[in-house]
Amino acid sequence: MAELTDIGNEFIRDEIEEFLEREDERERAIATFAGVTPEMQAIAAALIDGDHHEVDALTKNALDAGTGALEVMDDGLISGMGIVGIKFRENFIFVPEVLACARAMKAGMAYIEPILSASGVEPIGTVIMGTVKGDLHDIGKNLCIMMLRGAGFVVHDLGVDTSEDEFLDAVEEHGAPLLGMSALLTTTMPNMEKTIEAFIDSDMREDVKIMVGGAPVTQEFADDMGADGYGKDAMACVSLAKDLLDETKAETNLNA
Amino acid sequence: MQKIDKEEYQKRLDRITELFAGMIAHADELSTVRCPYKNRFDECTAKFGCRNQRRPRPGGTLLTCGGDDKLDYRGAWETEAKPCAYVGSEE
Repeated sequence: MAELTDIGNEFIRDEIEEFLEREDERERAIATFAGVTPEMQAIAAALIDGDHHEVDALTKNALDAGTGALEVMDDGLISGMGIVGIKFRENFIFVPEVLACARAMKAGMAYIEPILSASGVEPIGTVIMGTVKGDLHDIGKNLCIMMLRGAGFVVHDLGVDTSEDEFLDAVEEHGAPLLGMSALLTTTMPNMEKTIEAFIDSDMREDVKIMVGGAPVTQEFADDMGADGYGKDAMACVSLAKDLLDETKAETNLNA
Repeated sequence: MQKIDKEEYQKRLDRITELFAGMIAHADELSTVRCPYKNRFDECTAKFGCRNQRRPRPGGTLLTCGGDDKLDYRGAWETEAKPCAYVGSEE
């Protein structure tokens, strides 16, 4: 059986020692990290630390040195994220730290995407995401983006306080078939409908499926404003995005 | 350039989704008792103002959170970008 001292990376050893309290999880983590290369341990450590610059550089180096993309995913990125999940579950870290780690994971995945593309593996779809004009509350949107990226979507995050024109331009620029808008405030919810109207006015409404979400948003409100779908949370967001993409494909096939 | 098998890649995505789903469920549960913008150092990462925001700790860059999470923290959230509150931070 592997021992903690078999793991060369001090940061990983400390993380296991300090934060993994369940014996089965400690043993599994020790076995995992003791069996991977120092380079993969370093990627996992940087990811756990939420350091996207470091994950970026280390992933690039590893792939350039000939490490397999799936090995980087398994031994570096996913194994690191496993520790993040445990720390979050045990309340050692919170949502902002988790989002930083997800950002670090994205930095690593950015180098894997061209390999996927060269292998003929296309992303599930492209999604534009943003909070509507006047709304700066973005944690729900950020969790949705984390889930969507994890599921294999390419997501262009427009951030907060996004104007109608910014949504229009992004959909056009990226040829995105999906747009997600979020609002937390009842005062900014009407800007969802205004954005949808802007797509109608620009003759782009047929080009994109629009999904909406946020604490005050309901299915009824989504229907009234003319959205294509409503997601009540980040989990629902992924299944909704997949359903809307399927709808788009079915419509495309019908029109072909 | 190396190649990736589509099915093998999908297995990794499924694993990531499983990991993230657990985190989302915990985030949802946690949000009933703790502001999701508050980091592990009780600093505020929000881009908007909040009446619970206090001045940063010496050497720190983020405002600290003065909320105790006993009351619904969302009532303290403001709509403007400026961290205008700083309630009691001048004392």
